[in-house]
Amino acid sequence: MKGLPMKAVLLCLAAIAGTTLLASCGKSISPDQLTSELLPVPDNPLVSFRILTKIGAAEDPTGKDGLCRLTWSLLTEGGSRLRSAEDISRAFFPMAAGVSLSLDKEMAVFSATIHKDNLRAFYAMFKDMLLDPGFREDDFNRLKTAQLAFVEKTLISNMDEQFGKEILNLMMYDGHPYGRYESGTVESVQGLTVDDAKEFYREHFVRGNITIGLAGGYPEGFPEEVRKDFEKLPAGFTPKLALPPARTPQGLEFVLAEKDTPGTAISMGFPIALTRADKDFFALWIAGAHFGEHRQHVSLLFQKIREERGQNYGDYAYIEHFIQGRDKFPSPNHARQQQYFSIWIRPLPNSNRHFVIRQALRELKRLVDEGLSEERFQLVRTYLLNYTKLYAQTLDERLGWRMDSHYYGYDDFLAEAAKVLPTLTRNDVNAAVKKYLQAKNVHIAVITPNAEALKEDLVSNKPSPIQYANPNMPAEVINEDTVIQIYTLEVKPENVRVVAAGEFFRQTGIPGGR
Amino acid sequence: MTRTWTLIAAGCLVLALAVPRAQASDIFPFPYKIEQLDNGLKVVSIPLGNPDIIAYYTIVRSGSRNEVEPGKSGFAHFFEHMMFKGTKQVPRPAYDDFLTRLGAGTNGYTSDDYTCYFVVFAGRDNLEAVVKTEADRFLNLYYDEEMIKTEAPVIEGEYLASVSNPGRRMSELLRDTAYEAHSYKHTVLGYLRDIQDMPNQYEYSQLYKKRFYAPDNSILLVVGDFDHARLMELVRTYYGPWEKSNYALQVPVEPPQKAAKRAHLPWPGKTIARLAIGYHGPAFSDEVTDKAALDLLAAVAFDPSSPLVQRLVREEQKCLSLTAGFGDNRDPSLLVFNAVVKNDEDLPYVESQILQELDRLKREPVSDKDLTDIKSNKKYSVAEALGTSDGVAGTLVIYINLTGDPGTINRLFNLYDRITPADISAAAARYFKTENSTTVTLTGGGVK
Repeated sequence: MKGLPMKAVLLCLAAIAGTTLLASCGKSISPDQLTSELLPVPDNPLVSFRILTKIGAAEDPTGKDGLCRLTWSLLTEGGSRLRSAEDISRAFFPMAAGVSLSLDKEMAVFSATIHKDNLRAFYAMFKDMLLDPGFREDDFNRLKTAQLAFVEKTLISNMDEQFGKEILNLMMYDGHPYGRYESGTVESVQGLTVDDAKEFYREHFVRGNITIGLAGGYPEGFPEEVRKDFEKLPAGFTPKLALPPARTPQGLEFVLAEKDTPGTAISMGFPIALTRADKDFFALWIAGAHFGEHRQHVSLLFQKIREERGQNYGDYAYIEHFIQGRDKFPSPNHARQQQYFSIWIRPLPNSNRHFVIRQALRELKRLVDEGLSEERFQLVRTYLLNYTKLYAQTLDERLGWRMDSHYYGYDDFLAEAAKVLPTLTRNDVNAAVKKYLQAKNVHIAVITPNAEALKEDLVSNKPSPIQYANPNMPAEVINEDTVIQIYTLEVKPENVRVVAAGEFFRQTGIPGGR
Repeated sequence: MTRTWTLIAAGCLVLALAVPRAQASDIFPFPYKIEQLDNGLKVVSIPLGNPDIIAYYTIVRSGSRNEVEPGKSGFAHFFEHMMFKGTKQVPRPAYDDFLTRLGAGTNGYTSDDYTCYFVVFAGRDNLEAVVKTEADRFLNLYYDEEMIKTEAPVIEGEYLASVSNPGRRMSELLRDTAYEAHSYKHTVLGYLRDIQDMPNQYEYSQLYKKRFYAPDNSILLVVGDFDHARLMELVRTYYGPWEKSNYALQVPVEPPQKAAKRAHLPWPGKTIARLAIGYHGPAFSDEVTDKAALDLLAAVAFDPSSPLVQRLVREEQKCLSLTAGFGDNRDPSLLVFNAVVKNDEDLPYVESQILQELDRLKREPVSDKDLTDIKSNKKYSVAEALGTSDGVAGTLVIYINLTGDPGTINRLFNLYDRITPADISAAAARYFKTENSTTVTLTGGGVK
């Protein structure tokens, strides 16, 4: 399937209603048609739904940041026209049923897994929630209040690590559709009305934007029934977002969010011109896992910062937007047209913040300059070949990964990885590193107290000796520390912005503009 | 449930082989086997047809409950970190290398009552390597004083990662206020002052290992694509030399609470107000009705679909959420009601509504329909979690820690089936007394 243009893939999918997928398909149909993704497992007592819409937060109208989240939340938590949210909640209860929403920049998915004993009763309500939503004023106000409270209070006051990641997103995507925070801003959410939500739904919840995903032990004829119901949606589709290039930072650009916190949280990164659809993805994937595999000991950053120096709980890097799903595996259906490379440094003692920023950037430079050794290349490749066998264990995960495969132009991305990874060489990986990664132009978001002092330290390149609880650290660590603590970072004063934490997410973008 | 037990003897080891027959009505439908080595190590084996995936769990029956000595809070969790330091034969880099090549989903976690280590991996051919390597680290763990000094600050980092979360701090304050004697007084992470002293605890860590990391305090739970006889052969080979501890832990008994308690946590930044009300409740049991009755009460009265939650969250919109949490613990633990309250000034109102609902539940029996619905909810919730090897292991681990037997989950659900509305009212009357309550509140912006 690799290499087949995305449009052709979607057209093929649209033509298939009752079979698993993607048989050879010659006829073309209009892009305003429903698509389906079926994964029958007849003996399984469960049925998983993933109703995917290719409309995410990047489609929020200007000045209405957060509208997509609020509208889609109203479908999952606001009831249908015939049944209130309370009625549905009570009816779902004995089935242990629920519908969850996962939202990203360019897609959202409504998912549910149900025992087949309850399939009919569940589906009758589920379809009405999506196809005939209630849009009651009370439900809208309740969900709007919760969303506003999250943006205004919870994110900034209670979630330093997520706060740091969202500031990094603002830095990378200033003026870009991805720069709109999924939950909106205080100003934008306050202004949203139930009519905005109705209009957003009417415009975007149309046939061409929907993929029906079904997996498990559903009865014969059920997919056709579902399809028939969703065919009642209006025809139409939203043209794929024409995205401008993301902004490449000019040197090391810092935003320091001043906050009285005992631990400094750091996120850094930059846009990269590569997604899973590119042939280089597999090579860079190996480099990314080597450098910072999510919550795994194989991560070099984890080894250097946590294991050798005990600075924090973990340190990771990613070559695409990453949301953790079950256990530590990537959650499916966060596909994007544009991706970014990032490093996540978990909270560490404020006294060592400058040292660890130096350390992470130095390691990134070493990765770019030196690449992976043959030994590390072989090890990490073997790791990925085995670890990815665990990615799609549940029905829901298998379905989600299948949908993402088709988004990026594969029949089965994980199967493709199993074929391609063994063919790669260390040179392929190191060439991909040189092509896509660098350590000179990086956005760096820091949540920290006494931010002005950090700014001074950064700009002056003041030495930053690290402090340890253990007075007898190994000599090789101490020796490396003497290099790191004076590692030069080219930081221009105009590239370091200090902003009070409470100023963020009141309006779109970095407070005060770039 | 009808159970068939077969006793066999193999060599010098006395093995008890349990082969329970699943009943059509059992929530846990898979056949399983339980064997015990003569050093006390119990092995729960659940071979499934799930292709190629094996979930290999080691349960050490030591959690924050075992931290009974002053200054040792958080030690079970700290020791969990030390368990990844390797052995002389397989030092840390080699252990990491092994897991990396295996591509395993692996980690550990610590709870009130136990610490769990899991390795989820593909390929039944890898079973021997996993059994051998896991056995090695449990039998031969090695670290020196310097390693403990380097690892200890990682725990402080973990604490720092959670410090901006007011829910965590509320839980810490609630426990500390509610308990006087029992080690459930502190959270799994422990008090910050004890975390900061961990670099100095090398000697205690050796004592801790000797006491609790022993076969008579541990259970292996293996689920997935493997052959039971082969598994047992490997377990006997590699875990056979593990020496018993015979340590008898004395956990202080919590005295009955005699007067209501209250505490407040001012939060420095802006945040949404929170309320938690805790009552001392019963320990887990699959035989005695109280805990099971309270589980059902929590679901009937505090599920998102319940009338009280619907009113406070949806109609009056006073709360962003209202939940109940009753853990399954070895010793009597707290029954907790948590509310996230939209406006600080509504805290007293929300508190009064929760208390009124608990009073009502003492007087008015829940309806038969509500009871039927909650039993159905619990059954389908479990059924949906059993779709993978890891899902089965993850669902069972807490019950296996409590009793050593996967059949516990079936006995618990059979007990749920026998609970009546009168049982629920009686349990409510027994536990939801003012003098048995602890209430903590949190408000942001320095405003109390």
